[in-house]
Amino acid sequence: MKSKISALVDGELERHEAEEALEALGTEGLARDTWRAYHLINDSMRDTRLLSSGFAARIAAKLADEPTVLAPRARPILQRRSWQALSVAASLAAVAFVVSVAFYPQDGPVAVAPVAPQALNTAPQAETAQVAPPEAADDYLLAHQGYSPRNSLQGMAPYVRTVSSEARAGRR
Amino acid sequence: MIRALGIALVFWGGLSQAQAPSDGMALLRKIYLATEKLSYTGTFVYQQGDRTETSRITRVTGPGGDIERVEVLDGMPREIVRTRDTVRCYLPESQTVKVERRVDQRAFPGLLPEQISDLMRNYDITRGKTLRIAGYDCESVVLTPKDDLRYGYKLWADANSGMLLKARTFNRKGEIVEQFTFAQFAIGNVSRDQARTRHSVQSWRIEDAAVAPANLARAGWSVNPALPGFRRVAEVTRMLGEARPVGQMVYSDGMAAVSVFIEPVAGRAETVRPGLSSLGAFHIYTREVANHIVTVVGEAPAASVQRIANTVEFRQPQ
Repeated sequence: MKSKISALVDGELERHEAEEALEALGTEGLARDTWRAYHLINDSMRDTRLLSSGFAARIAAKLADEPTVLAPRARPILQRRSWQALSVAASLAAVAFVVSVAFYPQDGPVAVAPVAPQALNTAPQAETAQVAPPEAADDYLLAHQGYSPRNSLQGMAPYVRTVSSEARAGRR
Repeated sequence: MIRALGIALVFWGGLSQAQAPSDGMALLRKIYLATEKLSYTGTFVYQQGDRTETSRITRVTGPGGDIERVEVLDGMPREIVRTRDTVRCYLPESQTVKVERRVDQRAFPGLLPEQISDLMRNYDITRGKTLRIAGYDCESVVLTPKDDLRYGYKLWADANSGMLLKARTFNRKGEIVEQFTFAQFAIGNVSRDQARTRHSVQSWRIEDAAVAPANLARAGWSVNPALPGFRRVAEVTRMLGEARPVGQMVYSDGMAAVSVFIEPVAGRAETVRPGLSSLGAFHIYTREVANHIVTVVGEAPAASVQRIANTVEFRQPQ
Protein backbone atom coordinates (compact mmCIF):
# COMPACT_ATOMS: atom_id res chain seq x y z
CA MET A 1 0.00 0.00 0.00
CA LYS A 2 2.85 2.36 0.86
CA SER A 3 4.17 2.41 -2.69
CA LYS A 4 0.62 2.92 -4.00
CA ILE A 5 0.20 5.95 -1.78
CA SER A 6 3.56 7.33 -2.80
CA ALA A 7 2.52 7.00 -6.44
CA LEU A 8 -0.81 8.64 -5.64
CA VAL A 9 0.92 11.62 -4.06
CA ASP A 10 2.98 11.95 -7.24
CA GLY A 11 -0.12 11.60 -9.42
CA GLU A 12 1.23 8.51 -11.11
CA LEU A 13 -1.63 6.08 -10.57
CA GLU A 14 -4.14 4.91 -13.17
CA ARG A 15 -7.70 5.85 -12.35
CA HIS A 16 -8.81 2.46 -10.95
CA GLU A 17 -5.66 2.17 -8.84
CA ALA A 18 -6.14 5.71 -7.58
CA GLU A 19 -9.70 4.95 -6.55
CA GLU A 20 -8.51 1.94 -4.61
CA ALA A 21 -5.84 3.97 -2.85
CA LEU A 22 -8.28 6.77 -2.08
CA GLU A 23 -10.67 4.27 -0.55
CA ALA A 24 -7.93 3.10 1.78
CA LEU A 25 -7.35 6.72 2.73
CA GLY A 26 -11.02 7.12 3.58
CA THR A 27 -10.49 5.53 6.96
CA GLU A 28 -8.06 6.65 9.63
CA GLY A 29 -5.07 4.39 10.01
CA LEU A 30 -1.73 3.46 8.54
CA ALA A 31 -2.71 4.51 5.01
CA ARG A 32 -3.62 8.01 6.09
CA ASP A 33 -0.50 8.37 8.22
CA THR A 34 1.56 7.34 5.20
CA TRP A 35 -0.29 9.89 3.07
CA ARG A 36 0.51 12.65 5.56
CA ALA A 37 4.12 11.56 5.85
CA TYR A 38 4.67 11.61 2.08
CA HIS A 39 3.14 15.06 1.80
CA LEU A 40 5.31 16.27 4.62
CA ILE A 41 8.37 14.89 2.80
CA ASN A 42 7.23 16.57 -0.43
CA ASP A 43 6.61 19.86 1.32
CA SER A 44 9.97 19.90 2.99
CA MET A 45 11.72 18.95 -0.25
CA ARG A 46 10.02 21.83 -2.03
CA ASP A 47 10.56 24.26 0.79
CA THR A 48 6.81 24.76 1.23
CA ARG A 49 5.97 26.39 4.55
CA LEU A 50 4.87 23.70 6.95
CA LEU A 51 1.67 23.88 8.94
CA SER A 52 1.88 23.35 12.66
CA SER A 53 1.19 19.83 13.82
CA GLY A 54 -2.44 19.01 14.43
CA PHE A 55 -3.49 21.81 12.09
CA ALA A 56 -6.02 19.68 10.21
CA ALA A 57 -7.59 18.43 13.44
CA ARG A 58 -7.92 21.96 14.83
CA ILE A 59 -9.54 23.24 11.64
CA ALA A 60 -11.95 20.29 11.61
CA ALA A 61 -12.91 20.99 15.22
CA LYS A 62 -13.46 24.70 14.48
CA LEU A 63 -15.61 23.85 11.46
CA ALA A 64 -17.71 21.51 13.58
CA ASP A 65 -18.33 24.39 16.01
CA GLU A 66 -19.42 26.80 13.28
CA PRO A 67 -23.19 27.29 12.95
CA THR A 68 -24.54 26.20 9.58
CA VAL A 69 -26.05 29.10 7.66
CA LEU A 70 -29.06 27.92 5.75
CA ALA A 71 -30.31 31.18 4.26
CA PRO A 72 -29.49 31.36 0.55
CA ARG A 73 -28.10 34.54 -0.92
CA ALA A 74 -31.08 36.71 -1.71
CA ARG A 75 -31.29 37.82 -5.30
CA PRO A 76 -35.04 37.94 -5.99
CA ILE A 77 -35.06 41.15 -8.00
CA LEU A 78 -32.38 39.97 -10.34
CA GLN A 79 -34.12 36.70 -11.03
CA ARG A 80 -37.43 38.29 -11.87
CA ARG A 81 -35.81 40.85 -14.13
CA SER A 82 -33.71 38.33 -15.98
CA TRP A 83 -36.86 36.34 -16.76
CA GLN A 84 -38.35 39.46 -18.26
CA ALA A 85 -35.21 39.99 -20.27
CA LEU A 86 -35.31 36.41 -21.46
CA SER A 87 -38.88 36.63 -22.68
CA VAL A 88 -38.04 39.77 -24.62
CA ALA A 89 -35.02 38.04 -26.06
CA ALA A 90 -37.07 35.03 -27.01
CA SER A 91 -39.64 37.13 -28.81
CA LEU A 92 -36.92 38.81 -30.81
CA ALA A 93 -35.06 35.53 -31.24
CA ALA A 94 -31.88 37.34 -32.06
CA VAL A 95 -28.66 35.86 -30.78
CA ALA A 96 -26.86 39.17 -31.09
CA PHE A 97 -29.40 40.74 -28.78
CA VAL A 98 -28.99 38.01 -26.18
CA VAL A 99 -25.27 38.56 -26.17
CA SER A 100 -25.54 42.32 -25.84
CA VAL A 101 -28.24 42.17 -23.18
CA ALA A 102 -26.07 39.88 -21.16
CA PHE A 103 -23.72 42.74 -20.45
CA TYR A 104 -26.34 45.08 -19.10
CA PRO A 105 -27.09 44.43 -15.47
CA GLN A 106 -30.79 43.65 -15.35
CA ASP A 107 -31.72 45.31 -12.09
CA GLY A 108 -31.79 48.96 -13.02
CA PRO A 109 -30.97 51.42 -10.26
CA VAL A 110 -29.79 48.71 -7.88
CA ALA A 111 -26.78 48.24 -10.14
CA VAL A 112 -25.46 51.65 -9.22
CA ALA A 113 -24.75 50.65 -5.64
CA PRO A 114 -21.84 48.21 -6.10
CA VAL A 115 -20.12 50.51 -8.56
CA ALA A 116 -18.22 52.49 -5.94
CA PRO A 117 -14.77 52.90 -7.46
CA GLN A 118 -12.18 50.74 -5.81
CA ALA A 119 -9.12 52.34 -4.37
CA LEU A 120 -6.12 51.69 -6.53
CA ASN A 121 -3.85 49.43 -4.66
CA THR A 122 -0.30 49.24 -5.79
CA ALA A 123 0.98 46.67 -3.35
CA PRO A 124 -0.11 43.03 -3.63
CA GLN A 125 -3.18 42.84 -1.45
CA ALA A 126 -2.27 40.66 1.48
CA GLU A 127 -5.87 40.15 2.50
CA THR A 128 -6.86 38.70 -0.89
CA ALA A 129 -8.44 35.29 -0.59
CA GLN A 130 -6.49 32.57 -2.35
CA VAL A 131 -9.05 30.38 -4.05
CA ALA A 132 -8.95 27.32 -6.27
CA PRO A 133 -9.06 28.18 -9.99
CA PRO A 134 -12.61 28.58 -11.32
CA GLU A 135 -14.34 25.57 -12.83
CA ALA A 136 -14.00 27.06 -16.29
CA ALA A 137 -10.33 28.07 -15.84
CA ASP A 138 -9.22 26.10 -18.91
CA ASP A 139 -11.88 27.80 -21.02
CA TYR A 140 -10.67 31.20 -19.84
CA LEU A 141 -7.05 30.28 -20.57
CA LEU A 142 -7.95 29.04 -24.05
CA ALA A 143 -10.00 32.17 -24.76
CA HIS A 144 -7.15 34.35 -23.52
CA GLN A 145 -4.37 32.54 -25.32
CA GLY A 146 -5.45 33.62 -28.80
CA TYR A 147 -4.60 37.22 -27.89
CA SER A 148 -1.24 36.63 -26.29
CA PRO A 149 1.58 38.39 -28.15
CA ARG A 150 3.77 35.43 -27.28
CA ASN A 151 2.13 33.49 -30.09
CA SER A 152 4.13 35.68 -32.47
CA LEU A 153 7.41 34.51 -30.96
CA GLN A 154 6.46 31.03 -29.89
CA GLY A 155 3.70 29.84 -32.19
CA MET A 156 1.19 27.51 -30.59
CA ALA A 157 3.41 26.25 -27.78
CA PRO A 158 1.85 28.50 -25.08
CA TYR A 159 -1.53 26.87 -25.78
CA VAL A 160 -0.44 23.79 -23.81
CA ARG A 161 -0.87 25.72 -20.57
CA THR A 162 -3.94 24.52 -18.70
CA VAL A 163 -4.94 23.94 -15.14
CA SER A 164 -2.85 21.05 -13.82
CA SER A 165 -4.58 17.93 -12.59
CA GLU A 166 -3.39 18.77 -9.05
CA ALA A 167 -5.08 22.18 -9.15
CA ARG A 168 -8.18 20.54 -10.60
CA ALA A 169 -8.22 18.04 -7.73
CA GLY A 170 -7.74 20.87 -5.21
CA ARG A 171 -10.94 22.44 -6.46
CA ARG A 172 -13.08 19.57 -5.27
CA MET B 1 50.69 49.25 -22.44
CA ILE B 2 48.78 46.81 -20.34
CA ARG B 3 46.94 49.68 -18.69
CA ALA B 4 46.08 51.10 -22.10
CA LEU B 5 44.82 47.72 -23.19
CA GLY B 6 42.79 47.51 -19.98
CA ILE B 7 41.22 50.91 -20.60
CA ALA B 8 40.54 49.94 -24.19
CA LEU B 9 38.86 46.74 -22.99
CA VAL B 10 36.74 48.60 -20.48
CA PHE B 11 35.79 51.11 -23.15
CA TRP B 12 34.98 48.36 -25.61
CA GLY B 13 33.01 46.54 -22.96
CA GLY B 14 31.00 49.66 -22.26
CA LEU B 15 30.41 50.14 -25.94
CA SER B 16 29.13 46.63 -26.47
CA GLN B 17 26.87 47.09 -23.43
CA ALA B 18 25.45 50.20 -25.06
CA GLN B 19 24.80 48.27 -28.25
CA ALA B 20 23.15 45.41 -26.46
CA PRO B 21 19.53 46.61 -26.70
CA SER B 22 19.55 46.91 -30.48
CA ASP B 23 21.27 43.52 -30.67
CA GLY B 24 18.53 42.09 -28.51
CA MET B 25 15.91 43.74 -30.69
CA ALA B 26 17.51 42.28 -33.80
CA LEU B 27 17.29 38.80 -32.29
CA LEU B 28 13.63 39.36 -31.31
CA ARG B 29 12.86 40.34 -34.90
CA LYS B 30 14.69 37.25 -36.14
CA ILE B 31 12.62 35.04 -33.81
CA TYR B 32 9.45 36.74 -35.00
CA LEU B 33 10.27 36.09 -38.65
CA ALA B 34 11.26 32.48 -37.98
CA THR B 35 7.94 31.88 -36.20
CA GLU B 36 6.17 33.22 -39.30
CA LYS B 37 8.17 31.46 -41.99
CA LEU B 38 9.55 28.12 -40.81
CA SER B 39 8.10 24.66 -41.33
CA TYR B 40 9.26 22.33 -38.61
CA THR B 41 8.56 19.43 -36.27
CA GLY B 42 9.70 19.15 -32.70
CA THR B 43 9.07 18.00 -29.19
CA PHE B 44 9.13 20.42 -26.30
CA VAL B 45 8.79 20.24 -22.54
CA TYR B 46 6.68 22.68 -20.59
CA GLN B 47 7.69 23.15 -16.94
CA GLN B 48 5.75 24.96 -14.26
CA GLY B 49 6.38 24.38 -10.58
CA ASP B 50 6.97 20.65 -10.23
CA ARG B 51 4.90 19.86 -13.28
CA THR B 52 6.47 18.87 -16.59
CA GLU B 53 4.54 18.12 -19.74
CA THR B 54 5.83 17.02 -23.12
CA SER B 55 4.17 18.09 -26.36
CA ARG B 56 4.77 17.55 -30.04
CA ILE B 57 4.54 20.51 -32.40
CA THR B 58 4.24 20.48 -36.19
CA ARG B 59 4.08 23.51 -38.39
CA VAL B 60 3.73 23.78 -42.15
CA THR B 61 3.91 27.07 -44.00
CA GLY B 62 3.62 27.92 -47.67
CA PRO B 63 0.99 27.99 -50.39
CA GLY B 64 -2.30 26.64 -49.18
CA GLY B 65 -1.95 28.46 -45.88
CA ASP B 66 -0.12 27.75 -42.67
CA ILE B 67 -1.16 24.96 -40.33
CA GLU B 68 0.21 24.40 -36.88
CA ARG B 69 -0.59 21.53 -34.59
CA VAL B 70 0.31 20.86 -30.97
CA GLU B 71 -0.38 17.53 -29.29
CA VAL B 72 0.04 17.29 -25.54
CA LEU B 73 1.58 13.88 -24.87
CA ASP B 74 1.40 13.74 -21.04
CA GLY B 75 -1.66 13.68 -18.85
CA MET B 76 -5.05 14.57 -20.26
CA PRO B 77 -4.81 14.16 -24.06
CA ARG B 78 -5.54 17.28 -26.04
CA GLU B 79 -4.62 18.73 -29.36
CA ILE B 80 -4.71 22.26 -30.70
CA VAL B 81 -4.66 23.00 -34.42
CA ARG B 82 -4.44 26.48 -35.87
CA THR B 83 -5.09 27.44 -39.46
CA ARG B 84 -5.02 31.01 -40.75
CA ASP B 85 -8.17 32.14 -39.03
CA THR B 86 -9.33 29.26 -36.85
CA VAL B 87 -8.07 27.56 -33.71
CA ARG B 88 -9.53 24.18 -32.83
CA CYS B 89 -8.91 22.48 -29.52
CA TYR B 90 -9.65 18.75 -29.55
CA LEU B 91 -10.46 17.04 -26.25
CA PRO B 92 -10.87 13.32 -26.99
CA GLU B 93 -11.85 12.34 -23.42
CA SER B 94 -14.97 14.48 -23.48
CA GLN B 95 -15.32 14.17 -27.28
CA THR B 96 -15.41 17.92 -27.56
CA VAL B 97 -13.89 20.29 -30.03
CA LYS B 98 -13.67 23.97 -29.12
CA VAL B 99 -13.60 26.22 -32.14
CA GLU B 100 -12.54 29.83 -32.30
CA ARG B 101 -12.73 31.76 -35.55
CA ARG B 102 -11.28 35.16 -36.03
CA VAL B 103 -13.56 37.93 -37.13
CA ASP B 104 -11.18 40.81 -37.58
CA GLN B 105 -8.87 41.47 -40.50
CA ARG B 106 -5.69 40.44 -38.80
CA ALA B 107 -5.58 36.67 -38.78
CA PHE B 108 -4.44 36.43 -35.18
CA PRO B 109 -3.39 39.61 -33.52
CA GLY B 110 -0.02 39.15 -32.02
CA LEU B 111 3.11 41.12 -31.77
CA LEU B 112 3.83 43.12 -34.91
CA PRO B 113 7.39 43.84 -36.01
CA GLU B 114 6.96 47.58 -35.41
CA GLN B 115 5.73 46.85 -31.88
CA ILE B 116 8.92 45.04 -31.02
CA SER B 117 10.61 48.40 -30.51
CA ASP B 118 7.75 49.43 -28.18
CA LEU B 119 8.88 46.66 -25.84
CA MET B 120 11.85 48.84 -24.90
CA ARG B 121 9.53 51.17 -22.97
CA ASN B 122 8.75 48.46 -20.44
CA TYR B 123 11.71 46.12 -20.65
CA ASP B 124 15.47 46.41 -20.76
CA ILE B 125 16.43 44.24 -23.71
CA THR B 126 19.89 42.74 -23.66
CA ARG B 127 21.73 39.81 -25.13
CA GLY B 128 22.39 36.80 -22.92
CA LYS B 129 24.88 33.95 -23.08
CA THR B 130 24.84 31.45 -25.90
CA LEU B 131 23.66 27.93 -25.12
CA ARG B 132 23.35 24.64 -26.97
CA ILE B 133 19.77 23.34 -27.03
CA ALA B 134 18.50 20.18 -28.78
CA GLY B 135 21.71 20.11 -30.83
CA TYR B 136 21.49 23.75 -31.95
CA ASP B 137 23.77 26.62 -30.95
CA CYS B 138 21.43 29.23 -29.60
CA GLU B 139 21.70 32.97 -29.05
CA SER B 140 19.71 34.53 -26.27
CA VAL B 141 17.87 37.73 -25.47
CA VAL B 142 16.73 38.84 -22.03
CA LEU B 143 13.75 41.10 -21.40
CA THR B 144 14.14 42.50 -17.90
CA PRO B 145 11.04 44.41 -16.75
CA LYS B 146 11.57 48.03 -15.70
CA ASP B 147 8.95 47.68 -12.95
CA ASP B 148 7.16 45.03 -10.84
CA LEU B 149 4.08 44.99 -13.01
CA ARG B 150 5.31 42.32 -15.40
CA TYR B 151 7.49 39.26 -15.56
CA GLY B 152 10.88 38.99 -17.21
CA TYR B 153 11.64 36.71 -20.14
CA LYS B 154 14.71 34.96 -21.39
CA LEU B 155 14.56 33.54 -24.89
CA TRP B 156 17.04 31.30 -26.70
CA ALA B 157 16.90 30.94 -30.47
CA ASP B 158 18.81 28.88 -33.01
CA ALA B 159 21.61 31.16 -34.26
CA ASN B 160 20.99 30.09 -37.87
CA SER B 161 17.24 29.93 -38.32
CA GLY B 162 16.10 32.16 -35.45
CA MET B 163 13.71 29.44 -34.23
CA LEU B 164 12.86 29.89 -30.54
CA LEU B 165 14.03 26.75 -28.75
CA LYS B 166 13.76 27.79 -25.13
CA ALA B 167 11.66 30.40 -23.35
CA ARG B 168 11.77 31.18 -19.68
CA THR B 169 9.53 33.46 -17.66
CA PHE B 170 10.98 34.76 -14.39
CA ASN B 171 9.67 36.87 -11.54
CA ARG B 172 11.32 39.85 -9.89
CA LYS B 173 13.30 37.58 -7.57
CA GLY B 174 14.72 35.88 -10.64
CA GLU B 175 12.84 32.64 -9.89
CA ILE B 176 11.61 30.64 -12.87
CA VAL B 177 7.84 30.90 -13.20
CA GLU B 178 7.55 28.66 -16.24
CA GLN B 179 9.72 27.35 -19.03
CA PHE B 180 9.42 25.85 -22.51
CA THR B 181 12.38 23.84 -23.85
CA PHE B 182 12.69 21.92 -27.08
CA ALA B 183 14.12 18.43 -26.63
CA GLN B 184 14.09 17.65 -30.34
CA PHE B 185 13.64 19.91 -33.33
CA ALA B 186 14.01 19.65 -37.12
CA ILE B 187 13.39 22.21 -39.85
CA GLY B 188 11.54 21.20 -43.03
CA ASN B 189 10.47 17.76 -44.25
CA VAL B 190 6.92 18.21 -43.05
CA SER B 191 3.88 17.28 -45.09
CA ARG B 192 0.57 19.11 -44.68
CA ASP B 193 -0.99 15.85 -43.54
CA GLN B 194 1.26 15.74 -40.50
CA ALA B 195 -0.21 19.01 -39.30
CA ARG B 196 -3.80 17.81 -39.54
CA THR B 197 -5.69 16.21 -36.71
CA ARG B 198 -6.17 12.43 -36.60
CA HIS B 199 -9.48 12.77 -34.78
CA SER B 200 -12.68 12.28 -36.69
CA VAL B 201 -15.10 14.51 -34.94
CA GLN B 202 -18.46 13.85 -36.63
CA SER B 203 -20.09 12.73 -33.40
CA TRP B 204 -18.22 15.16 -31.14
CA ARG B 205 -19.74 18.11 -29.40
CA ILE B 206 -18.69 21.37 -31.02
CA GLU B 207 -18.36 24.44 -28.84
CA ASP B 208 -18.12 27.45 -31.09
CA ALA B 209 -16.79 30.58 -29.42
CA ALA B 210 -18.76 32.76 -31.87
CA VAL B 211 -16.38 35.64 -31.38
CA ALA B 212 -17.79 39.01 -32.44
CA PRO B 213 -16.36 42.50 -32.15
CA ALA B 214 -18.05 44.44 -29.38
CA ASN B 215 -18.20 47.76 -27.65
CA LEU B 216 -18.51 46.97 -23.97
CA ALA B 217 -18.02 50.62 -23.06
CA ARG B 218 -21.29 51.43 -24.77
CA ALA B 219 -22.92 48.81 -22.56
CA GLY B 220 -21.64 50.70 -19.53
CA TRP B 221 -18.44 48.81 -18.75
CA SER B 222 -15.17 50.51 -18.21
CA VAL B 223 -11.76 49.20 -17.38
CA ASN B 224 -8.91 51.46 -16.55
CA PRO B 225 -5.83 49.35 -17.09
CA ALA B 226 -3.92 51.66 -14.72
CA LEU B 227 -0.81 49.75 -15.62
CA PRO B 228 1.84 51.72 -17.47
CA GLY B 229 2.52 50.30 -20.90
CA PHE B 230 -0.67 48.22 -21.12
CA ARG B 231 -3.16 49.13 -23.83
CA ARG B 232 -6.33 47.50 -25.06
CA VAL B 233 -5.73 45.14 -27.98
CA ALA B 234 -9.11 43.41 -28.30
CA GLU B 235 -12.72 43.84 -27.28
CA VAL B 236 -15.17 41.08 -28.20
CA THR B 237 -18.18 39.09 -27.11
CA ARG B 238 -17.92 35.33 -27.26
CA MET B 239 -19.21 32.06 -25.91
CA LEU B 240 -17.31 30.31 -23.21
CA GLY B 241 -17.60 26.57 -22.62
CA GLU B 242 -20.93 25.14 -23.72
CA ALA B 243 -22.85 28.38 -24.19
CA ARG B 244 -22.10 31.14 -21.74
CA PRO B 245 -22.00 34.56 -23.32
CA VAL B 246 -19.13 36.65 -22.01
CA GLY B 247 -17.51 39.93 -22.88
CA GLN B 248 -13.74 39.92 -23.21
CA MET B 249 -11.28 42.80 -23.23
CA VAL B 250 -7.57 42.16 -23.65
CA TYR B 251 -4.79 44.44 -22.48
CA SER B 252 -1.16 43.96 -23.42
CA ASP B 253 2.24 45.59 -23.15
CA GLY B 254 3.50 43.74 -26.21
CA MET B 255 4.72 40.70 -24.28
CA ALA B 256 2.40 40.16 -21.32
CA ALA B 257 -1.36 40.02 -21.84
CA VAL B 258 -4.31 40.25 -19.48
CA SER B 259 -7.91 39.36 -20.39
CA VAL B 260 -10.94 40.76 -18.59
CA PHE B 261 -14.03 38.54 -18.87
CA ILE B 262 -17.45 39.87 -17.87
CA GLU B 263 -20.52 37.67 -17.59
CA PRO B 264 -23.88 37.85 -15.84
CA VAL B 265 -24.19 36.17 -12.45
CA ALA B 266 -27.65 34.94 -13.39
CA GLY B 267 -27.67 31.53 -15.00
CA ARG B 268 -24.41 30.38 -13.44
CA ALA B 269 -24.90 27.01 -11.79
CA GLU B 270 -21.57 27.15 -10.01
CA THR B 271 -21.15 29.38 -7.00
CA VAL B 272 -18.45 31.90 -7.69
CA ARG B 273 -15.66 32.28 -5.20
CA PRO B 274 -14.15 35.72 -5.33
CA GLY B 275 -10.41 35.76 -4.90
CA LEU B 276 -7.12 35.01 -6.54
CA SER B 277 -5.77 31.76 -7.90
CA SER B 278 -2.29 31.19 -9.24
CA LEU B 279 -1.38 28.81 -12.06
CA GLY B 280 2.29 29.26 -12.82
CA ALA B 281 2.71 32.38 -14.92
CA PHE B 282 -1.05 32.91 -14.91
CA HIS B 283 -3.12 34.57 -12.25
CA ILE B 284 -6.88 34.52 -12.21
CA TYR B 285 -8.73 37.06 -10.11
CA THR B 286 -12.50 36.90 -9.70
CA ARG B 287 -14.82 39.53 -8.27
CA GLU B 288 -18.41 40.57 -8.60
CA VAL B 289 -19.42 43.91 -10.11
CA ALA B 290 -23.04 44.97 -10.62
CA ASN B 291 -24.45 41.44 -10.71
CA HIS B 292 -21.75 40.34 -13.10
CA ILE B 293 -18.77 38.14 -12.55
CA VAL B 294 -15.52 39.73 -13.57
CA THR B 295 -12.73 37.24 -14.17
CA VAL B 296 -9.34 38.64 -14.99
CA VAL B 297 -6.83 36.20 -16.46
CA GLY B 298 -3.31 37.36 -16.96
CA GLU B 299 0.23 36.26 -17.69
CA ALA B 300 1.44 38.80 -15.19
CA PRO B 301 2.21 39.06 -11.46
CA ALA B 302 -0.79 38.76 -9.13
CA ALA B 303 -0.73 42.45 -8.18
CA SER B 304 -1.04 43.53 -11.83
CA VAL B 305 -3.96 41.19 -12.49
CA GLN B 306 -5.69 42.46 -9.35
CA ARG B 307 -5.07 46.08 -10.23
CA ILE B 308 -6.78 45.66 -13.56
CA ALA B 309 -9.64 43.70 -11.98
CA ASN B 310 -10.22 46.37 -9.35
CA THR B 311 -10.73 49.10 -11.93
CA VAL B 312 -13.59 47.32 -13.70
CA GLU B 313 -16.69 49.49 -13.29
CA PHE B 314 -20.21 49.56 -14.50
CA ARG B 315 -22.23 52.72 -15.01
CA GLN B 316 -25.74 52.63 -16.40
CA PRO B 317 -25.39 53.97 -19.95
CA GLN B 318 -27.22 57.29 -20.40
